[in-house]
Amino acid sequence: MSGQDKRVQDAAHAPREDFVKGPTVIPFGPQHPVLPEPLHFDLLLEDEKVLGAIPQIGYIHRGLELLVEKRDFADYVHVAERICGICSFMHGMGYCEAVESLLGLPIPDRARYLRTFWCELERVHSHLLWMGLAADALGFESLFMAAWRTRELVLDVAEETAGGRVIFGSAIVGGVSKDPSDETLARCIKALALAREEVKRLSMVMLQNITVRHRLEGVGVLSADAAYALGAVGPMLRASGRAYDARSLGYAAYGEIGFETVVETAGDCMARAIVRAREIEQSFAIMDKVVAAIPAGPVSVPAKGMPPKGESFARLEQPRGEVVYYVRSNGTRNLERFRVRTPTFANVPAMVEAMRGSSLADVPTIVLTIDPCISCTER
Amino acid sequence: MTEQHNGSIIPIEIGALLPETDALRSAGWRLVQVLCVGSADGAELSYSFGLDLEMRSLRVTVPAETPLPSVTAIYPGAFLYENEIRDLFGVRIERIAGDWEGKVYDVAMGKLFSKVSIKAISSEDPGAATGGAASMGGAL
Repeated sequence: MSGQDKRVQDAAHAPREDFVKGPTVIPFGPQHPVLPEPLHFDLLLEDEKVLGAIPQIGYIHRGLELLVEKRDFADYVHVAERICGICSFMHGMGYCEAVESLLGLPIPDRARYLRTFWCELERVHSHLLWMGLAADALGFESLFMAAWRTRELVLDVAEETAGGRVIFGSAIVGGVSKDPSDETLARCIKALALAREEVKRLSMVMLQNITVRHRLEGVGVLSADAAYALGAVGPMLRASGRAYDARSLGYAAYGEIGFETVVETAGDCMARAIVRAREIEQSFAIMDKVVAAIPAGPVSVPAKGMPPKGESFARLEQPRGEVVYYVRSNGTRNLERFRVRTPTFANVPAMVEAMRGSSLADVPTIVLTIDPCISCTER
Repeated sequence: MTEQHNGSIIPIEIGALLPETDALRSAGWRLVQVLCVGSADGAELSYSFGLDLEMRSLRVTVPAETPLPSVTAIYPGAFLYENEIRDLFGVRIERIAGDWEGKVYDVAMGKLFSKVSIKAISSEDPGAATGGAASMGGAL
């Protein structure tokens, strides 16, 4: 523990009478106007400057991983999908990818393309959700409403293709359960083109607005070395200049469709906002390519028999970064262990580092530009 | 692609954990995750590291009540994983830089994910091991 970390911890647990002598400890969260989910920090301040922060989670732990011992492996995908209401499809899909790897079960090509389509759809609606929340926190109410109105167009496409707006319910072990026709997909691409134009406009408004720039530029800087050493993932890592995106592994149809990793180098809140804005644009392009190249054919294969004894990992790139799934089977229909390492869980140490040296007023902005998902984190 | 996802899993002894982890850190590997799987006589921890797209995991088997050194001196970001594993599995991880002292998850049933046999539970500490989901019986 560094001297400063020790100082933070000592101060947070110091007797009340000691507070008047040294730095001030300010509790931040778990209820806070900028936090849609419960997260707490003990912020150690010297005047307005943040010297350090001690994070605290644990308010909504649900023990969903443990449920895998009591559910049939093929049915558990419904639980996995409910880990989070934003990355729901990707949680279901990640679980399926890990189980399919365990079973040695290749899925049909059309299913791989559909999974890619829904992953990118989810990335767009997640980043638009973030844009709205960030705008709201910065006092930019009109942008907040415009971002969420545009997000509705994306959710409509999710509903039309998958049947659900929040829980898609389309990932199953062996492929996908929904098969939108090529005509439906083409119609959805036209609808998404409208959303794409609107997002371009909104991104420009957000990123060029002088007040937004003033609040984001040079704030919450995280160096490339610190981001890497602390295990940061996703836009948090890429905004600090490290080009790692788990989609490069080529899962689903990313190997055929291809994409370019979005990287910024400033490492501040503005860089994280730019990465997300550029990723939205790229996701629309990926969905166009998927629909243009999607092959005909079945969308699932039956997952027969018991999963063999063994273990498997799966890694995906969620909107907030790399997520790691792990499954272990004991040869029965109930898996022995399911574990998810979510991106926010990995980003908490980097978030604390980004706060160090900032002003108290900037803490909400820094927290928001990490785009934390506590529902994922606590599972 | 499966091999790329799984990477290599290398079993090591507890004593080799810190030197091996330090060597990976020096070689530029990042910490991807720390995973714990409970068993009747302890737990198995897998420390996964990534370098570009490659993943490598060091696997340590820890008997019940055996102390395990923290890797936070090498990877400071590991503190959240280690606190969680200690709270949910009851693994005795020592010298965590950023020790939350068992307060990550304030759940009613302590060490909820532990699979340590009921015989190993101290009568003075009924929350020491719950037997995981097994103890929850038909409630689920």
